[in-house]
Parts: sequence; structure tokens; C-alpha cells
Amino acid sequence: MNLIAQTLADGLVLGGIYALAAVGFSLIFGVLHVINLSHGILVLMGAYLALIFSEMLHIDPLLCIPPVMAVLFCVGYAYQRFLIQHAVDRASVNSMLLTFGVALMLQNAMIWVFSPDMKSITPTYAFTSLKLGPVNLDAVRLSALAASLVLLSCLAALLRFSPLGRVIRATAQQTMAARLCGVNVRHVYALTFAVSAAFAGAAGIVIGIILPFSPNDEGGWTLNAFVVVVLGGVGSPAGALIGGLLLGLVSTLTAQYIGPAFPNVTMFLLLVLLLLVRPNGLLGNAFAPSR
Amino acid sequence: MTRNPVPVFLLVAAAVVVLAAGPLFLPPFYVRVGQLMLYSAGLGLAWAILGGFAGYASFGHAAFIGVGAFTAGLVEARFSTLPTALLLPVGLLAGAASCAILSALIAYPILRLRGTFFAIAMLGVSHVCAEVTNNIDFFQGSMGLNFPPIAPASWDPANFFYEVYLAAALLILLVSWQIRRSRFGAGLLSIREDEDTARMLGVPTERYKRTAFVVSAVLTGIMGVIYAHSLGYITTESVYRDDTNLSLIVYSLLGGMGTLFGPVIGAFLLVFITQVILGRLLDFHLFATGLLLVILVLAAPGGVAGLLKRKRAAT
Repeated sequence: MNLIAQTLADGLVLGGIYALAAVGFSLIFGVLHVINLSHGILVLMGAYLALIFSEMLHIDPLLCIPPVMAVLFCVGYAYQRFLIQHAVDRASVNSMLLTFGVALMLQNAMIWVFSPDMKSITPTYAFTSLKLGPVNLDAVRLSALAASLVLLSCLAALLRFSPLGRVIRATAQQTMAARLCGVNVRHVYALTFAVSAAFAGAAGIVIGIILPFSPNDEGGWTLNAFVVVVLGGVGSPAGALIGGLLLGLVSTLTAQYIGPAFPNVTMFLLLVLLLLVRPNGLLGNAFAPSR
Repeated sequence: MTRNPVPVFLLVAAAVVVLAAGPLFLPPFYVRVGQLMLYSAGLGLAWAILGGFAGYASFGHAAFIGVGAFTAGLVEARFSTLPTALLLPVGLLAGAASCAILSALIAYPILRLRGTFFAIAMLGVSHVCAEVTNNIDFFQGSMGLNFPPIAPASWDPANFFYEVYLAAALLILLVSWQIRRSRFGAGLLSIREDEDTARMLGVPTERYKRTAFVVSAVLTGIMGVIYAHSLGYITTESVYRDDTNLSLIVYSLLGGMGTLFGPVIGAFLLVFITQVILGRLLDFHLFATGLLLVILVLAAPGGVAGLLKRKRAAT
């Protein structure tokens, strides 16, 4: 009983982080219809930037979230405007390959700059933990989960209530109609990409606090994001949250009860199964068809 | 648009003769590079039957390399009393059969997915196969499998495998040429252009897609079996490689998507660039491949064949 409660709690914490790491990928997919295979790179950029900031300024890594998000916002805007925009209008495989090429280059560059070794961010409260009945939760994981949920709600609110969010949703639903109403679609695409990159960076910080990271992880984070999006549905923070929690639970439960080597196997079986029964994800498709 | 096939045919025949004579005058390093070129060309051609003709770009064909190689290894270990000359055919049969069964089993569900979803689902298949091979002791993926040396004693193994690769690549080229000029091939092309319309016009798209998938998987598996023999010892990591998954797309992209010779041109070029030009700069490989990919997508989406065609249209 204790074991299962602990496993479920760990799964939920992990799931919250998966959700945050995937939400930007989901937004780009939903609005631009681009599979951003360099998403994992953006996540890792956030983690490395936070490592640099927190070591330089001696501040809590969670306080690095605003500056890191600002930096990645600019990076994302430029990246979309100068590179991806040129491949958006062509076949979807092209933009996928473009982002993959960028991912390879940046991964290599990261190995040069930061070395291929595992790094981790250690906040001051790294070794305190809380006991909730039978369940043990460290302060780090708890703050990571809280940060994830807060950020996800912020993004949901941004999309739902702000003028920018309205324009983004309009572009996603009917690009042509939005353009006719005077929306500068290229600008919106770039802004969407920038927001997504910023949230990817924030996710990187949260990941950096609870897990070690290295430049070789980027593929893993991109794949996770993809699975989360397919599970939850494209383009909405709520879908990402559902998909992320589901993925977190499935992978911790598999690791605990089937074997530590099998989370990926169950994850992909689940993915393929779901794609076959519900091609639009559990919450359906919030935005335009993604094919 | 019917071009006379005789000059192309003669050109290919001449190229084959030159390639077959390669080991006679090439230094050992270039024989190794040649092996890799022929191996890559064969894989690229096999991939392109589904990915190029039918437009179903798979991101996980390394699954079939691995399944073919491991089945061959496990089966050959049971037949270790056979004369060495028979081992390779037995392995090829076993590898091809296992790939045929696996691909036929997953063809129906996985080919319902299109575009990116198909690509990523195939990546999933490749990862699942790799993990199963690695974690179930029966397959010996983490320990590794040994392959008996099969080259005749009088023949240098590197040269021997060079010729085997050449034969296999040629076989795959023949198969895809035959497919390309058949009704089946035209059907695949129509699927690439517009699957729903093709279906509406009476093309049996489901059957064609599935057949193309199985043919492509079997040919990939054959290459995998040969690859395993030329390595002599394989583990999960050496056959289920994500960079293979990627390279197969890049070959077609570089040479020209959906063209017959595109994958061959692409494979030769890419292997030449990474092995010969950048051979010394191992740290630079990922970066160079990435840069090449970016330039290709932005500047030459039709690949080398596309550039040639554009030039021909301009003159």
C-alpha cells in the first residue's frame, strides 16, 4: 500500500514536469503544424542557462525562471523568423528535418561548450523532505511540481484571456480567416514559437533541479514531448497536463512493477495504441486538424 | 516522357563493373569506405520503396536491420554444424523471414497513421525492438552475438564483403527499378501525391502500402544480416542505431526524394563527406550532418536530382 502510494506520488510529480516540458512543443504543433525536433535542445538551453545564472548570482534556481524565459523568448522568435518560417509552407517532413538538423548542430555545440558530462542544479533545500502520511516527498520535487503547475496555469490564462492568446488561437483555427481579419500571421507564428521556447526553457530549469542532465538527453525530451502531446491532444495546456500526468504515472508504474528497463516499451505501445483508437488524443483536438 | 532506357542501363552496367573491380586497385581504407557506401546505398534504396515512392517516410527502419541481424545470428548458432558456405544463405533466409513477419504484423495498424505520426510511430517500433532485444536474455542483445567468419579462406574478408554488399545493393536496385516501372509502382506514386484521391480512383492503396512496407522491410533486413556478418560481433547498440534511422531519410533527401537513383547518389555523397572529407574531425560529425540537413531543406528540397532537373528545365 505504501509502495503504491509512493509510486503514484512520484509518478504525478514526474508527470507535472513532463507536462511543462511538452506544452511548448504542443503549442508549436497546434499553431504552426511544425514538429519541432529541436524542442529538447530548448529545454536543455534553459537548464544550462539556469546553471550559469544561479552559480554566477548565487540565487535560487527557481528565481532564474524569468530571465531564462526572456532569453529563450528572443531565441525562439529569431529562430522561427529566420529559419523555420522558410520551411513552414513546404511539406511537414521538411520542417521536421530542418529542426532536426538544428538540433544536431546545437547538441554538438553544447558538447563543445559544456562537455558531455552530467550536470545538475542543486538548490539550498536539496536535502529536506516532507512526510505526508505514508508518502515521502522531497522539497525539491514539491517545488518543481508547484512551479510546473503555476507556469502551466499562466500559459493557459495567457492563451484564454490575453489579446495575444486570442490571436494565437484564431491563427491556429483558421489561418486564412485570421489573415483576412488583419492578423500578421508570420508575426504570430514567431510569437507562438517564442512563447513556446520560453516555456521550454522554464521546463529545463525545473528538470535541472530534480534530475541530472547532459547534452545527450535532448532526444529523450523531444520524444517525451511528442508522446505527451499525442496522449493529451494538440495545442492546449490542459491536454499537455493530462498527457504528462498519464506518461509520468505509466513510466513510474512500469519501472516499479514490470522492470526498470521497460518504461519506453510500455510508453510506445501505449502511444501506438492510442494513435490507433483516438488519433486526436484523449482530449480531442483543440485546434485545426494536425495532419 | 518515355526515355530510352538503354543508355542508363549501359551506364549502370559500366558502373557495376568498375565498382566490382574496386578492391583490385583501391587501398584498404577505401575498400572500407566502399563497403559503407554500398551498404548505405542498399539501405537507402530499400527505405525509398516505401519512403520515396509512397511518401511514407519511416524514422525507424533500423528496427529491421536489427531484427534481421539478430534473427540470423540466433538461427545460425543453431546450425553451427553446417558448412560455412551455407551459413550466409541460411541467415539471409531467416532474417528476411523474420522481417517479413514483423512488418506484415505491424503493417495494418501502423500504416493507418500518416506523415509525421507514421514517422514517429516507426521510431517507436525501432526503440521497442531495441529494448526488447537488450533486456530479454534470449536475444543476447546486451551481451552481444558472435558471427562465424564466412569469407572463403583465399579471399580477404574486407574484399569479400565488399562484393557481397555490391551484389545485395544491385539486387535492391533491380527490385526497386522493377517496382518503379510497374503498375504497383505507379500506384505507390499516386499514394504519395494524394492518397485519398488515389483510393477514390480505384487504386488499392491499403494493399499497395502494405506490400511496399513488407518489401522494404525484407530488403532492409537482408542488408542487416550482411552487415552483422561483416562486423562479426553485434550488440543492440551496433545495429539499432538512431543515426541510421536518420541517415536513411537524408540519403533520399540529398539525392532526390522519390527518384530511382536518388538514394544511391545521396548515400555515396554523404558517406564520402562524413568518412573521407571529415574523417579526421570526429567531433564535428554531428554538426556537419546537421548543417547539411539545414542547407538541404532550405536551398535544395529536391536534392541533387532536383537540381539536375531544374537545370535541364532551364536549358
